[in-house]
Amino acid sequence: MLNRSSIGLILNAHMPYVRHPEYPRFLEEDWLFEAISETYLPLLRMLNNLRDEGIPFRITMSFSPTLCSMLTDPILQGRFTNYLKLHQELGEKEVVRCGVEDPESLPLATMYLEAINKNLEDYFELYHCNILIGFRDLEESGHIDLITTSATHAFLPLFSQYPSTVGAQIELAVQSHINHFKCRPKGFWVPECGYFPGLEDYLKDEELAFFQLSAQALVLAEEPVKRGNYAPVVCPNGVFGFARDFHLTNLVWSNVEGYPTDPEYREFYRDIGYDLPMDYIKPYIHEPEVRVFTGFKYHAITGKGPDKVLYKPELAARKVADHTKNFLYEIRKKGKDINKILDRPPFYTLAFDTELFGHWWFEGIDWLESVIRKVAQTDDIVFETQLDYMERNPEAQVLQPALSSWGAGGYADVWVNGSNVWIYRHVHKAIERMEELAIRFPNQTSLKQRFLNQAAREVLLAMSSDWPFIMHNDTFTTYAESRIRDHLGNFNVVYENMCKNAVNTEWLVKAEKRNSVFPDIDYNIFNPHSDRNRYNG
Amino acid sequence: MITQNIDALSLSELRYVAIKQGLDDAAVMDREDLLDTLKELYEERASSIFGEGIAFSPSTQPRFMNTLVEHDSEQVVGPLPGVQPLPNEYAETRIHLLLKDPYWAHAYWSVCPTDLQKLESSCDSFTFFLRSSIVEIGDQTREIDSYDIAISKEDSSWNINLPEQGYSYLVSLYYRDDKGNDGLLCQSNSVQTPQSYFLTHTEELQTNDDLFTLLFSSLVTKGGIMIDNPLLQEVIKKLDKRMEG
Repeated sequence: MLNRSSIGLILNAHMPYVRHPEYPRFLEEDWLFEAISETYLPLLRMLNNLRDEGIPFRITMSFSPTLCSMLTDPILQGRFTNYLKLHQELGEKEVVRCGVEDPESLPLATMYLEAINKNLEDYFELYHCNILIGFRDLEESGHIDLITTSATHAFLPLFSQYPSTVGAQIELAVQSHINHFKCRPKGFWVPECGYFPGLEDYLKDEELAFFQLSAQALVLAEEPVKRGNYAPVVCPNGVFGFARDFHLTNLVWSNVEGYPTDPEYREFYRDIGYDLPMDYIKPYIHEPEVRVFTGFKYHAITGKGPDKVLYKPELAARKVADHTKNFLYEIRKKGKDINKILDRPPFYTLAFDTELFGHWWFEGIDWLESVIRKVAQTDDIVFETQLDYMERNPEAQVLQPALSSWGAGGYADVWVNGSNVWIYRHVHKAIERMEELAIRFPNQTSLKQRFLNQAAREVLLAMSSDWPFIMHNDTFTTYAESRIRDHLGNFNVVYENMCKNAVNTEWLVKAEKRNSVFPDIDYNIFNPHSDRNRYNG
Repeated sequence: MITQNIDALSLSELRYVAIKQGLDDAAVMDREDLLDTLKELYEERASSIFGEGIAFSPSTQPRFMNTLVEHDSEQVVGPLPGVQPLPNEYAETRIHLLLKDPYWAHAYWSVCPTDLQKLESSCDSFTFFLRSSIVEIGDQTREIDSYDIAISKEDSSWNINLPEQGYSYLVSLYYRDDKGNDGLLCQSNSVQTPQSYFLTHTEELQTNDDLFTLLFSSLVTKGGIMIDNPLLQEVIKKLDKRMEG
């Protein structure tokens, strides 16, 4: 029998909840718009093309509840439309400008304008402003398996002492997934691969069949792992865990030696938003004269220095072909070694943030397409989802994975260090108080119910892994800190008012408008004593 | 970090970034100076991120992060009506322990003002200290070993070293009065450091090449650099020692 290796690709699509209707335009909302225009829409086009041509592929995709909420939010949908139209106008202006001043860049300006026009067409005509429809359609046609992650992408090991809150994060995520995709998620993306022993109990309760793990989670387990990372393990409660293959992932994801660092690929950081005179670019950046990336980038990586050569898509396309070959070579080479010592063909779990493809690595979607096409022509490698593998190989080693994450150092250091540790004193307190409120005021109706539901939203948003991550990276710390403080401050408004048996309606109406994530939330999920709560120890 | 790969930036971009970072003389600095100054600034910030007693160790294998790109926004979200600033601490005598990694935990605590008043009225002077205990958790918690850490009254958090793997730890906040009497103020939740099979069975890896390949081939880069993890490094160190032996 042929030893056929399987690629188990998981793409994690996640954005922190950023939505500021109180401002006419808010800079950090661009994170979402860049991801839609540079990753999600081009990815949908690529996957749909493959499907239409009958090219077989099976991949797993996780959509975070906060991202789903933003993608279906009418205000953000409207703002994304403005974003696209503004960039379309810039593209048209660039075609004219390049035609006169910079003819070498003209084909690139035209390429970007065409991509924007395609995005506009797809966004309105195909998806009616809701791109989740496209991914749901791919799931229905059997090409992708959709999974969920914790409600606000919380780094769960740091909250493991609050079982009902971890349960709330997961239960709410499943509800959100059902609302958006009209079916239960099949598995769970563990945020930041942040696993603690026992997490699988919450997943089992929500009928989530599998989750992904960091590369070291199995080799560092208390019992010896038998098949390394080349097969999943099954936790004692029956939920499967798939550990990432760091070696293969790193071929793509390393920003030191990964494929995206090739000099022929497009340089991310050179953008006309920074390069062109203020008078010209001002209408397309942020007020007052805050230069930002516009997506119009005309240079190749070239090298470390400032002198960059013009980006040549045809040279980049050759590199895509080379890197496809190299990737498949590495898989085959690995398969050769592993097949000699493993009792079954290897399954390689490759887990990436979706936004790497297209946004960070401009050619990433082309590379992925090329790999899928090549794999379709071979009979020794196949794209297979985690669920496919579990169905084909129901027998797995029973093993409790080790505490781990994919952050630097492999544990919680990225999310707990001098830059961000102060937040836990307040977030933990808010969790304890939320649980207290849920116990003291169960099953409220009308205004108090809305008040308590908003408190639950604020606590969950404060738990997001994105804020401490941003603080750790010392990037937009002001924004991250203000978000944490606002969510916790908002929560305290509810706590203090409820302790006085009052409702601050002015605050409530404004808070509901500002942080409108999870419209169907029921704060009772925080009640550790509730009949519905299974995590009360 | 996910900020700009500054080597790749043009002079005008570097100046823009430098001004945003608060370098007043950025407009007159040349490219090399800007690069050096910005790198120095980023390094300083990176090392300040890690607390005292923890060596800063940048990941040897940085990856492309998520989609967040620095825009240097100065927009501030205003609070809603009725929102008060967060307090520094809460009026309770409690201590929490968070596991950072197999060797370090972070403790944070607060002492209720009424408890402080009681202490102040019961003795002329007192000090605080933390006791970090290795414990066995069963029907009853049994202390196996412990060590004390002197802290000041102003401290409210500390990084705690966890010397042994595979054990439970908890941290207690004590006061010591002027007569040398100790009193417990509060005790934390327990955290457990992970126990790894191959950390104590490295001989199996040494004698079984296939097993070694199976376990470690997915943990190294193409260039042979292992994934950043202190326990794995420990396993490799032990293996190296055995080989030398």
